[in-house]
Amino acid sequence: MKIHTYEKLWLVAAMVLIVGFIATITYGSVALGITMVGDQEDTIEPGELGEDERFDDPRVEQVGENEYEAYVIAQTFIFQPDPIEVPENSEVTFYVTARDVIHSFSVVGTNTNTMAIPGEISTMTVEFDEPDEYGIVCNEYCGSGHHNMEGELHVLPEDEFDLTELSVEADDEVALEDDDEVTLEIAVENGQLEDLETTIEAEIGDETVTEDVTVEGDSTYETTISVDAADLGEGDHDWSVTVDDYEESGTVTVVDQLEDETEDDGGDDDE
Amino acid sequence: MRLTFPRLLLLVALLIVILVELRTVLAFFEIELPFAATIAIGIVGIVALLLWAFLSNDAPSER
Amino acid sequence: MSNTFVDAFPKQARLIRQAFLTSFVALGVGALFGLIQALHRTDIFRPIESTTYYTVLTGHGVFLVISFTIFFLVGVYQWAVTESLEREPVDMRFTWGWYGLMVLGTLLAAFAILAGFTDAIDVSADVLFTFYAPLQGHPLFYIGLVVFVVGTWLAGADWFRTWWAWKGDNPGKRIPLPTFMVLTTMIMWYISSIGVAVAILAFILPWSIGLVESINPTLTRTLFWYFGHPVVYFWLLPAYLLWYILLPKLSGGRLFSDPLARVVFILFILLSTPVGIHHQYLDPGIAEGFKFIAMTNTMFLLLPSLLTAFTVVASMEHGARQRGGEGYFGWLKSLPWREPAFTGMALAGLVFAFGGFTGIVNAGMNINYLVHNSLWVPGHIHTQVGTAVALTFMAGSYWLVPQLTGNRLVGRSVALFQVLLWFVGIIFMTNSMYRGGLIGMPRRTAEPQYDGFDFEVAAGSVGELNAQLALGGVLLFLSTMLFLALMLLTLFNHDSEPIDERSIPRPLSGPEDSPPVLDNLKLWVAIAAVLVVLAYSIPLASIVSRGGLFGPDVSPFPVFIESIGDARFVLESILAGITR
Ligand code: HEM
Ligand SMILES: [Cu+2]
Ligand SMILES: [Cu+2]
Repeated sequence: MKIHTYEKLWLVAAMVLIVGFIATITYGSVALGITMVGDQEDTIEPGELGEDERFDDPRVEQVGENEYEAYVIAQTFIFQPDPIEVPENSEVTFYVTARDVIHSFSVVGTNTNTMAIPGEISTMTVEFDEPDEYGIVCNEYCGSGHHNMEGELHVLPEDEFDLTELSVEADDEVALEDDDEVTLEIAVENGQLEDLETTIEAEIGDETVTEDVTVEGDSTYETTISVDAADLGEGDHDWSVTVDDYEESGTVTVVDQLEDETEDDGGDDDE
Repeated sequence: MRLTFPRLLLLVALLIVILVELRTVLAFFEIELPFAATIAIGIVGIVALLLWAFLSNDAPSER
Repeated sequence: MSNTFVDAFPKQARLIRQAFLTSFVALGVGALFGLIQALHRTDIFRPIESTTYYTVLTGHGVFLVISFTIFFLVGVYQWAVTESLEREPVDMRFTWGWYGLMVLGTLLAAFAILAGFTDAIDVSADVLFTFYAPLQGHPLFYIGLVVFVVGTWLAGADWFRTWWAWKGDNPGKRIPLPTFMVLTTMIMWYISSIGVAVAILAFILPWSIGLVESINPTLTRTLFWYFGHPVVYFWLLPAYLLWYILLPKLSGGRLFSDPLARVVFILFILLSTPVGIHHQYLDPGIAEGFKFIAMTNTMFLLLPSLLTAFTVVASMEHGARQRGGEGYFGWLKSLPWREPAFTGMALAGLVFAFGGFTGIVNAGMNINYLVHNSLWVPGHIHTQVGTAVALTFMAGSYWLVPQLTGNRLVGRSVALFQVLLWFVGIIFMTNSMYRGGLIGMPRRTAEPQYDGFDFEVAAGSVGELNAQLALGGVLLFLSTMLFLALMLLTLFNHDSEPIDERSIPRPLSGPEDSPPVLDNLKLWVAIAAVLVVLAYSIPLASIVSRGGLFGPDVSPFPVFIESIGDARFVLESILAGITR
């Protein structure tokens, strides 16, 4: 076959170019460690995400000193959790799956970007050095509301970040005649691995109770605070519980005696 | 007229295209041409080209 | 006495005119939809609801990259085979048969898509041209696609049949280059379109009718991309054919090298299919190793395009020097820039070369994270199929349509303006798309304006990017309309003499300079098959073993009954609110 000299030169140059490109990409993979989303995770039934311990409650979890895992569900047309909060100087592994159709999980302006396919779980490990706020979009068409599908990713300063969860259970109505107490059952969950030193501050009516506590890492501290109903007197009393920046509040009604269901107009009990 | 009309059109098109792409390339080197400046440069460039093409008595050289 | 194609092969010319007509109708509708998108996305003018945007976008994709391109392809290929073998099809009824099937398929799919505009008909298919399951369109959409593809298969069979008949009369002769290009393209097409045929016939269609309950989204997606990359070469190769066959002649010279052209087309048979996984770099469920292999193959697929660039430029230079051009770059001045057919193709080639580099970014596996499914991708699409192919087709029409009608082209200077307008328009639009993509703007989105955050533009502003995109879109739309008007006028420009002569000059280096093994099509088919099996058998087996043939119980998500989709959205948002 007759090949012109220039043609041969061009051919050689073309091959050099191609090999150069491949080398560049390989360098990115091997030396810089930019790995691709792969098939590391087993498949999952998209209809049964609720039974999977990672996805029944989409969340961020601490797994090591500065290591976190985020379990994210993409579905028409939202991301869960939203916003996703992680601390600065952390290494976060995202586990992303889809509940219904194919979506994507794309952190705007970064190369954190993956398809979210029903039945599959994408994993990506990302390092966050600085506090920042990012938008998350779905960039795969997923139906008529696709353009509404967005979320947020907040990288918080160390001192603003926690994985604390406060929950309070309280009665709605307490009767004086039974000599009853108004009780607040308080649970403080510390999702971080370090101990959490904090103060629980509970207010009921005019009464204030404080308790300094240490919640151990990855555990829940439970306590009950009670006040005699008689001290409060008949009527509505607001209560609130604060732990750091979290607050739960409600109202308890102290009555003379519990009304009979039938006499009640039903309005309050439906809540 | 130094240029035939088709060539003039071609050069105007090329000028616009080069300007748009050059602006992007420059932005990669952190040289940012503002929007208005880009348009101004474009207009000046096109006018200069037209003047150069028309202000001459040579016959167009179309082969 | 005029000597045009229509004088020599009037029956053929009629079929090709018909194919072009169909193609141009699709182009017109597609361009209108494109304009709507360009104005809607940028929030400049929103005459439609944002939910309807996706009906428009499905139409834009299907009409332009399926109907416009492939109808034009069959027209050009019919012309190329007839002209280079100097013979008609064995049975013209068969020829009209495949054309009819393609039209029928298009009409079915178009009906399913366009019915989405009205609630009066309970049919729609807002699934975009990639129709990723579990999004589900109306079965007619899939049936239409299958009928269309079967039509193209028969078209290929027709060309092979013509060639076999010719071979019987011309034993031992080399396959003429245009026919060689047609046959190799069709081989690539047969190998690759099996993927989409299996995806639809075995999985998506039965599932959309309700015969099977569930689907494996990764499997159908992988089968789609098995076909989805070669299909871009199916759009591109007729443009290559015009660059190799017509452009040298239009430049006033001849093709530089026939052997190299053959090598290029063979490389496309071998390499265009085992690369499809490069569209799935960010898919979970596919191991990184397979992605790496696809990346390497993709990079080697640059080779035939780089060789084409050489041959095309060398042929143009040769033509220019024949016309008296001199100097290192001075010869550029001697090219026939006043010819819209030439200028259009030359500019298309220029844009293609530029777009090729953006394609390398897409292909660059770990760089792909940055651009995947961002607006960058339609930027790439419009430089490549939207210009390298579309502009070449339009420019080619300025030469071909007079050949097919015997009528002189109406408005040559307007035609020149038209191709230049396209050139400027595409640069405005794609430049904005590329930049928008780099800052993370998503593609396929009716309202890329979000509540929770703003895009951070490195240089300029989002408003400026939007204005630029919309301006480009308007210019492109105007350019398309100009083109269609000129075509229509030319069609009725009866009493005129065509100016151009139809003969194609012989290449500088002819087929005799190349080894006959290049014409051994069976050999190339065999090698291609081996490569495909190597590249795809393990990934497919792994996908099936992970998710099962029919998937891990994924239920359909019909987008053809809009209200259900919306109701479900509301319901789920409420549920999500409660569980938070
Ligand atoms: C009249 C000129 C055109 C205009 C104004 C236009 C405009 C657009 C716009 C704005 C998009 C992005 C939509 C989005 O992602 O939200 C788009 C997508 C697209 N365009 Fe065009 N376009 C034009 C011509 C063409 C041509 C000639 C072709 C191919 C032959 C083409 C092929 C495509 C394809 C394949 C997509 C992607 C569709 C998808 O994501 O499903 N366009 N076009
Ligand atoms: Cu989406
Ligand atoms: Cu591809």
